[in-house]
Amino acid sequence: MIPWAGSSSSPSLQGVNLVRTYGDGTARRAALQQVTLNLYPGQLVLLMGPSGSGKSTLLAILSGLLEPDSGQVLAADKGQLLDVWRLSAKQREQFRRKHTGFIFQGYNLFPALTARQQLELVLMWGENVSRSEARRRADEMLDRLGLLPNRHKKPAQLSGGEKQRVAIGRALVKNPTFMFADEPTSALDWENGQKVIELLRDAAHQRGAAVLCVSHDHRILPFVDVYYHLDDGRLEQRPLPVGP
Amino acid sequence: MSIALQTLWHERSRYAAGVLAVAFSAVLIALQCGLLLGLFKITSIPIDHTTADLWIGSTKVQSVDLGKPIPMSYLSRISGIAGVTSVELYIANFANFAKPSGGTELCFILGSNTDRGAAGAATVLSPEQLDALTMPYSIIVDESDLKRLGFLDNPDGKVKINGKEVKLVGTVKGLKSLAAPWVFCSLYTARQLLNLIVPSDHVTYLLARCESPERAKAIAAELRDKYGSDMGTYTAAEFSYNSREYWLLRTKAGIAIGYAALLGLLVGAVITAQTLYSATIANAKEFAILLALGIPRWRISSMVMMQSFWVGVIGVALAYPTCLALRSGAAQVGADVDLRWEVLVGTAAVTISMALISGLFALRSVRTIEPMSLLR
Repeated sequence: MIPWAGSSSSPSLQGVNLVRTYGDGTARRAALQQVTLNLYPGQLVLLMGPSGSGKSTLLAILSGLLEPDSGQVLAADKGQLLDVWRLSAKQREQFRRKHTGFIFQGYNLFPALTARQQLELVLMWGENVSRSEARRRADEMLDRLGLLPNRHKKPAQLSGGEKQRVAIGRALVKNPTFMFADEPTSALDWENGQKVIELLRDAAHQRGAAVLCVSHDHRILPFVDVYYHLDDGRLEQRPLPVGP
Repeated sequence: MSIALQTLWHERSRYAAGVLAVAFSAVLIALQCGLLLGLFKITSIPIDHTTADLWIGSTKVQSVDLGKPIPMSYLSRISGIAGVTSVELYIANFANFAKPSGGTELCFILGSNTDRGAAGAATVLSPEQLDALTMPYSIIVDESDLKRLGFLDNPDGKVKINGKEVKLVGTVKGLKSLAAPWVFCSLYTARQLLNLIVPSDHVTYLLARCESPERAKAIAAELRDKYGSDMGTYTAAEFSYNSREYWLLRTKAGIAIGYAALLGLLVGAVITAQTLYSATIANAKEFAILLALGIPRWRISSMVMMQSFWVGVIGVALAYPTCLALRSGAAQVGADVDLRWEVLVGTAAVTISMALISGLFALRSVRTIEPMSLLR
């Protein structure tokens, strides 16, 4: 597999001069101040910063979940640039359905469904594929994640690390262009956390996704391609640590 | 198994309240309707326990106990019609019953031909009882009315109907009464007892037997066409139905039952809606992920609706055996609960619709789900 890191010159997602404030009057607080950020295909980008620095806000705006006060989010789609926040709500929903995957700190798996069904649901409800096709693709993904033997297990029968891997499978099974991960390792021990970050890196390097990971966890740094720091609504790219 | 049903089963303790609420509503509706139908069957006993195909009486008779006297000469209008195999006279009316123990009671006289197999003779009367009724002024009543008519208190006392002494010659079972005890007697006896109400050249009904029930319908239509202005013709089935419907509406019992059923439905609907609402809220984060992934909200709404449908179906499935058990319990104490298929199907339709409407109310929980909640 050819590594994608740095191999593409044009970004697949650009956040341009993004501004977002919360509150009114004297309580008004800027969460993002003229933030510009590019995500490239094949790159795992880490976004760090103290609590309340606006990391989750930036992730939400870039992923089409939260509208910025000003600025643009431009996404490359079939040779065109889509302004995500000028699309209608329905078009933006379609955009997310087609292009984006999410992983959150909580695994948010349906307690009643097996690992395989969690993935099937996304394909059947999102892409209208048949159950047999959904099953084939779900099993393929679970196999890549080393979870095929657990495919009939429900969340209560899985460990924390396994649950997060199922959640990653659910995000990856539709082959997204962009992956957004919010604190994906914070509920896991480092052994499982490392597996998760490796999977995110594989999603970028092997599948060509643009992956943005928001985290407090410095142990992730050696695995990422680009590292941003956000503080008080201002974004700054920082050098990656050198050496193993 | 569908995802909706799988979730329902997995979280069955969460959904139990909704399922039980639906079952409760269904039992309440089915039993109330069944009891009412069972009760008002009593009003059509003279029709349902005789073998006439056609009842011919005065015009617009709403119930069997409301027929006005008609001239006996109408007999000639009927006996000549092809397909009519026999016609009999029948006298029926309310009368004043002086109890052997003292006091009076209203009763309803049913005077028919006492020949074996006569169209107007109640089918429960044995040949011996029919013979006994040929004696003038002999009567038979249902054993459930013996106490009401004072026979138990003073078995040897004098019994008078409309001032004329009568003699109890037997009892029957299963012909209970509502407003006035049924008194079975011969046509002759009835005429003597009711001579002030039914003139000697009049009867209350003419009972006809026909070649077949289909033929009876056609003859009824023919007679209505020809003599509809002064003579009413009813098939046994429609006369029976009309009698029950009349009393159901007249007594407003239907309204009372309707309110009770409505109350049951409302309670069921509120609990079901609340159950579905909280169950959806409990899965809000899982649904929020799906919304973030771009899955349309209607997919989640339709899953909630599917769940409400299944809550309804399972509730009804639990209600049916409960109803049957309660019916046999009621039968033990002598109450007839008529759980005919219309009642069971109607109950299922109403309660499953209720569950679906509850599902619609629970959909507001889906509207509150926002993917942004996962990032806060």
